[in-house]
Amino acid sequence: MLKTVRETPLLETLRKYGASVGEFAGWITAMDYGNPLEEHVATRNSVTVFDVSHMGRYLIRGDNLFEFFQKLVSKDLSKFKEGRMSGPVLLLNENAHIIDDVMLYYLSDTEWLAVVNAPNIEKDRAWMLRWAEKWGYNIAIKDITLSTTLIAIQGPRAPEVLEKLGVKEAESLSILEFLRRPSVLGEEAILVSKSGWTGEEVRSHGYEIMTTVEHGKRIFEAAVKAGARPAGLIARDSLRLEMGYPLIGVDIGSDVNPIEARYWMALSLKKRGFLGEEALRKIYREGVSRFRVAFKLKKGVRRIPRHGNDVLIDGEVVGYVTSGAYSPVLGRSIGMGYIKATHSYIGFKVAIDIRGKTYEAKILDFPLI
Amino acid sequence: MSAEDILVKTKLGEYLVKRGLLYTETDEWIKVQDDTITLGITDYAQKKLKYVVNVELPEPGTSVNAGEPIVTLESVKSVADAYSPCSGEVLEVNEKLYDTPDLINKDPYGAGWLVKIKPTEPIDESRFLSPEAYAEKIRAKEE
Repeated sequence: MLKTVRETPLLETLRKYGASVGEFAGWITAMDYGNPLEEHVATRNSVTVFDVSHMGRYLIRGDNLFEFFQKLVSKDLSKFKEGRMSGPVLLLNENAHIIDDVMLYYLSDTEWLAVVNAPNIEKDRAWMLRWAEKWGYNIAIKDITLSTTLIAIQGPRAPEVLEKLGVKEAESLSILEFLRRPSVLGEEAILVSKSGWTGEEVRSHGYEIMTTVEHGKRIFEAAVKAGARPAGLIARDSLRLEMGYPLIGVDIGSDVNPIEARYWMALSLKKRGFLGEEALRKIYREGVSRFRVAFKLKKGVRRIPRHGNDVLIDGEVVGYVTSGAYSPVLGRSIGMGYIKATHSYIGFKVAIDIRGKTYEAKILDFPLI
Repeated sequence: MSAEDILVKTKLGEYLVKRGLLYTETDEWIKVQDDTITLGITDYAQKKLKYVVNVELPEPGTSVNAGEPIVTLESVKSVADAYSPCSGEVLEVNEKLYDTPDLINKDPYGAGWLVKIKPTEPIDESRFLSPEAYAEKIRAKEE
């Protein structure tokens, strides 16, 4: 299969700040700017700026968007309204397997925006259109990924940076609320939201700005000038791991159901009438055989648990690792993975086999910090 | 960077290839001095590996075979091995890497060296890549 590799529209700007580039999900973008551990710490203690333009973005227009998405996604949208983001919601198939987790933005009754994961840009669009057609909804989806940029400004000093960018009312936003067509550096952007997937958004320290490419370049540079340290996808990964946010295709995917993944924030188990509901309720009722959990290793262990490592008790495999990182905040390696439901001893110890050596780890719930 | 060193520029990045060293197909550099070989990873290798957080070195005195993994490098992103360029005995390892593994990122051809090996027999330099050949290899990989 021919692989398309795309560049983030901000790549040249990122290089000016010493970006070490690499590929993620078919995109060439900044992995780090020399020291991802410091970038991680700066996000927790100060402020950083990330280019997350590799995330897919669609404008969705139609007459019954609310009704359509209420049928399509796993989370109850009945309180969802103009000016709000949905939080992560799942696209499930009929068997309640995960197609993707996406973020919906309610722009108006007839216009929504969706931010989807980079590997699924084409797939999600086809999925939405397929079900719209099947159910008789007239919707149009415009992929605006390449014509726009998405910049995340994260950390306790993010409000200062937003102020310096001239964004009024940023501080008044609640979590997952956005300003439509705000002025940023004196020019209209598509939106500014309180969000970000680093964990800072839930501490009220995270904002994302969606705008045109040229405007995005100016905003990235102005954010750096205002004190935000450029940060890349490696820091973003360790930040989301500390929070326990799963990554599609790595921690969750078509082989996992949302109950096993304990992806509660993307689910409404009381909700009725959505795709995959019956299968999901059956799983909920009958139970699952594994659970997604966090792992914390001891201080001083230099190895990092990696995708596919076995989790053991007395030499018996009871689970596996799906992601791992070094947490500079905790000063140790951390991980995420699945453990047999019968062995989900939260707070208790297991061993993780990392390249042929076993290391003690504690099973924990999320978040780790 | 001295004037003679080669800076390979591709659409993915810029990679320094130093003169006076020999290179391997697996992105290590070696420096042959009397009967000692110093081994490290190249600037290209460290840039692909990203920020190194853990280095596992052999004990001095260990016997090694040509082509065998000799050092394990773990970055925030992935794990990679460096391979022994020859058969011989490990004379010395760069112990500074235990506390500051990112010396490999900061100075891959200098303070970030990995091990020194005493080869069993003299090195056949024709088995290694010249700086020019290695630079060409990087270019070919990235295009």
